[in-house]
Amino acid sequence: MIVPLKIIWHVARHELVDSIRSRRVIIIGLLYLAGSIAATAIFISVLQKLESQLMATLGLATSSNTGSVTATLWKSDSFRQMMTTLIGDRDLAKSLLNIPPLALFYGWLAFAFTPVLVMLTSTSRISEEIWSGSARFILFRISRLHWGFGKFVGQAAQLALALLLSAIGAWVTGLCRMHSFEPLATALAMLLFAGKAWLYSLAYLGLALGISQLCSGPNLALALGFLALIAIAILNGISSAFAGEGWRRLWDLVNSLTPSAHRMDLWWGDTAHLIPAIVFLLTLCLVYLLAGYSRFHKRDL
Amino acid sequence: MNSALEFNGVVKQFGRNRALDGLNLIVPKGSIFGMVGSNGAGKTTAMAIAAGLLNPNSGIIDLLGGGPFQAEHHSGRVTLLPQDSHFPPYARVEELLLYYGRLQGMGGSKLEHSVDALLDWVHLSNRRKSAIKTLSHGMTRRLAIAQAFLGQPDLVLLDEPLNGLDPIEAARVRTLICERRGQQAIVVSSHHLADLEAICDTVAFIEKGKLVRQDSLASIIQSWCRITYLLTHQGPSLTTLTELIPGIEWKYSGAGTELTALFSKTCSPEALNAKVIPLLLESDSGILEIKRGSDLETEYLRLYREADSEESRPAGLNQPPPLP
Repeated sequence: MIVPLKIIWHVARHELVDSIRSRRVIIIGLLYLAGSIAATAIFISVLQKLESQLMATLGLATSSNTGSVTATLWKSDSFRQMMTTLIGDRDLAKSLLNIPPLALFYGWLAFAFTPVLVMLTSTSRISEEIWSGSARFILFRISRLHWGFGKFVGQAAQLALALLLSAIGAWVTGLCRMHSFEPLATALAMLLFAGKAWLYSLAYLGLALGISQLCSGPNLALALGFLALIAIAILNGISSAFAGEGWRRLWDLVNSLTPSAHRMDLWWGDTAHLIPAIVFLLTLCLVYLLAGYSRFHKRDL
Repeated sequence: MNSALEFNGVVKQFGRNRALDGLNLIVPKGSIFGMVGSNGAGKTTAMAIAAGLLNPNSGIIDLLGGGPFQAEHHSGRVTLLPQDSHFPPYARVEELLLYYGRLQGMGGSKLEHSVDALLDWVHLSNRRKSAIKTLSHGMTRRLAIAQAFLGQPDLVLLDEPLNGLDPIEAARVRTLICERRGQQAIVVSSHHLADLEAICDTVAFIEKGKLVRQDSLASIIQSWCRITYLLTHQGPSLTTLTELIPGIEWKYSGAGTELTALFSKTCSPEALNAKVIPLLLESDSGILEIKRGSDLETEYLRLYREADSEESRPAGLNQPPPLP
């Protein structure tokens, strides 16, 4: 057991270093970070405008203290009552309203865009090495299973790094541009969302590397990865529209095989929702990876 | 168990194309084994199957007495220099060798010393921190050779190792391979038959996925039973030679300036030379060169012609096409 873990560790370490050295990953990573900062800045600007409009409507003096109105509103009983009615679940509304608005926005951002980042950076990682032949220098030294898992661990580490950097970027933007900012509470909430987004994206990473094991070329793998993302979004939409009682429950069942079906559960703060969602997502990740491996382990290289 | 690698009736099919068609092969332990064949003969496929990169359709493979390739059993004991494969472009030279060594189960100062020695061996010590993408083709090729000798593998598979090397580096790699004789079995495939002749002790001719002939190099080039004298003018007649030195089969070729003696093991080459050379000097034939045995290229072309003519003459009527 120690030997395979050691091998997986060596592959993962090399994978992380090799991946973040590639120009492609550097560019995509920087774009992701810039996107996160820009989106946070836009969110703060919109918030500022809304607050200004609100204050103008109420006939109050305009304040440059961005976020102060929102923070006051966030804590008011009437706003909380309205949010509970809108969300339709008192516990979820309560749990969300305890989170600083900027962290909530970051959570949405991370859940929405990390799967795209995964598809852009990870789908080609195995197929590219098969295509270039560099895998042929490795696969007489270790088994394909250990190599695949090592690559997965390396990519998971890269993903964690990207999420952490984007959280730092968003936090620093908030610190600089929001005057009514709770640094510690926002940082902790953002880290929590980064962790949840990481767990959520692991399922997509499993899917990306599963596809990568099936393909002989990086371009095909990338195309299939995006097709899979689109298919998941369509399936999610159809399931939401058509799910119901009787045979319509089938839609729920089909949808539960995709990662996006478990995203809502990650918004919750309690273990009763979080643990089943995490178990489901990790299982999906493993299933996708092993589905790719079932072909990869016997294919010609 | 005296063989490092055994193929028994190995078949590999790529779609309609049968790359290996019941290949039989025995690579003796500690030997330098040459694989000779035309393009598409199945040499690369055979090596990739031995290293576990390709899966055979049928047949038996025995690698170092442990059955077909399994990473758990053969890691670090079997290495391969694959053809037309590229290293990751952003990796560094030394770092890549250290990584491969760790995957083989090596570590610590032993690995570092081994990598240092290998980089010295292939003249890449001064490029140890360079990214792969900054290396020339020849340098990358030398690095590929170095990785195949990482650790002390029992079986090294080298697919066209001398391709892309300049003459000085090629000569050095030949010497380095020869230095490893007896320590590990080295299988070398190459189209440069003179190179193979310089390093191999056993040679296999492979054509259309089948073994045509496998033998020691000495047997193939008949070094023990054949001497050729290259002359400026034709020497004594064949009758004279047969009368004066009986028991030898004489033959003139190349406009009478190439005299070949074929003899049995009872006659030694030095004894034959002691009799023939005075005769040739007396007849004023002008000895330019004395060559023992044939050469690998001649023997390969002869075998290729025979194999090809047998195949293209099903009714025994058609003449084989002339060799280019």
